[in-house]
Amino acid sequence: MVGLGLRRDIAEEILESRTLTPDFLEFAPENWMGMGGAWKRVMEQAVEKYPITCHGLSLSLGSPEELDWEFIRELKDFLDENQVKIFSEHLSYTKSRNAHLYDLLPIPFRSDAADHVVERIRKVQDYLERPLAIENVSYYTPVAAEMSEIEFVNQIVERADCRMLLDVNNVYVNAFNHQYDAKEFISQLPLHRVEYIHMAGHEQVEPDLIIDTHGQPIIDPVYELFDWTIGQMDPVPVLLERDYNFEDTDQIQSELVQIKGIMKKHWKVEHESA
Amino acid sequence: MSLREETIQIQELLGEYCRTGEEQELPGVTPGRIQHYRRLVWNVVSDTLATAFPITVAALGEDSWELLVDDFFAAGLPQTPQVWKLPFEFYRFHADRETGKRIRKRFLDDLLLFEWMEIEVHTMTDRPYPEFVAEGDLLHDRLAFNPEHEIVQLEYPVHTHPVSQATEMKGEYYALLYRLPGSGNVQFLALSVLNTYIFTRLQEADVPLNEIKGEFARVAGIESGRYLDDALKKFFGDLLDRKLILGFKRE
Ligand SMILES: [Fe+2]
Repeated sequence: MVGLGLRRDIAEEILESRTLTPDFLEFAPENWMGMGGAWKRVMEQAVEKYPITCHGLSLSLGSPEELDWEFIRELKDFLDENQVKIFSEHLSYTKSRNAHLYDLLPIPFRSDAADHVVERIRKVQDYLERPLAIENVSYYTPVAAEMSEIEFVNQIVERADCRMLLDVNNVYVNAFNHQYDAKEFISQLPLHRVEYIHMAGHEQVEPDLIIDTHGQPIIDPVYELFDWTIGQMDPVPVLLERDYNFEDTDQIQSELVQIKGIMKKHWKVEHESA
Repeated sequence: MSLREETIQIQELLGEYCRTGEEQELPGVTPGRIQHYRRLVWNVVSDTLATAFPITVAALGEDSWELLVDDFFAAGLPQTPQVWKLPFEFYRFHADRETGKRIRKRFLDDLLLFEWMEIEVHTMTDRPYPEFVAEGDLLHDRLAFNPEHEIVQLEYPVHTHPVSQATEMKGEYYALLYRLPGSGNVQFLALSVLNTYIFTRLQEADVPLNEIKGEFARVAGIESGRYLDDALKKFFGDLLDRKLILGFKRE
């Protein structure tokens, strides 16, 4: 199955299946929770028509401060109401000193930070009564690291005993920005824990820096990395993340088709697992 | 809590830098990279607010607007995990600090509030509709109000006048914002003080207009009679056309 992120700009397009025909949709719960009116109608129609996964933005698993339990309660209601089985969040933090920052900040790759995140993933999984799929995020600089990224990620997912959302584009972006080998990184991940995969486009802003924008088409080297990666894995759903630049829906649809083509090559019988 | 003091401090310094743009001593970072976090975080906040308050941005000009965003982001401590609710916090922040008075844009609170209310009414959770029938009599039947509305009181008529004029018209104004059945689009209506009273009172009392029009006549300081009946029918007939009144309640 190949999914697409549900954004307001393309909601109508998707619901009427004009050009875009994904197999499932992904919501950021924060963008839809507690809403009535026209957007609620859109959400209801989407839930009726498509299988749904949810991809959280604001849990801030890596923050020093307490988890926001009021928010987590609302989140659980939302996931229950919409019968969402797969919920994912980022291995990052978005809240600091009692202020939300609405972007993904890099957690220091340190063992105390890993312990802290493990505790929090466990607490959230328990409360939500569903496994959390933790996403490897793109980052532009390490901060006060005492171990490598791969050690950090592996420690956390193994010890929290959670699922993973593997973002192939993020691995590509990080490998480029921090000059490591993307395939070597992926081959060290616990791929049996991957619940689903993210694919996306990015933007190179400096000779040695890529920013993970989700606004451009996926580049060929990311398709190649994806092709190689899923060759090592059992079938899972794959989602195309696109956050803006929606003018050319034909182009976005062609990305969905291209992803599906690669999946079919490796996974002869499609397991409709989402 | 398994985090070391030092790790907490490092994480908070990065957060601080993103909110204020003031450089911080961060260990083990790649030179020239940390700025991107400030830029990305700032863009999210600034785009969200500019999209929510297009009239305010135009009325203040880009430079003054940016100062307000900067102030808010550095000192405002955004509390909502849902970024689309951030414009409300921005409005509260500047209203509490009396920013409008300080920068001599006295219309500021009203304009921010009015623009926010358009978002609020569009997105607020659904309110149950009363049962109603389409045909009825404006004076003798109870009216079924569209529950999806809010009334805001303004000191300056920013909903009906350009801010340059509104600034000179301090007074007591009301705007009624409502969600259209079906499309969910938001419309608004300027109400006089008297009409605001009549509208809210009738809705509260939930009786036919005929039973309460005497009270309205007293408040308006006019005689009960043909003239009043016509005025009330015209006012509520207009609300019916606008779908602020859905129809009539029949037992
Ligand atoms: Fe992703």
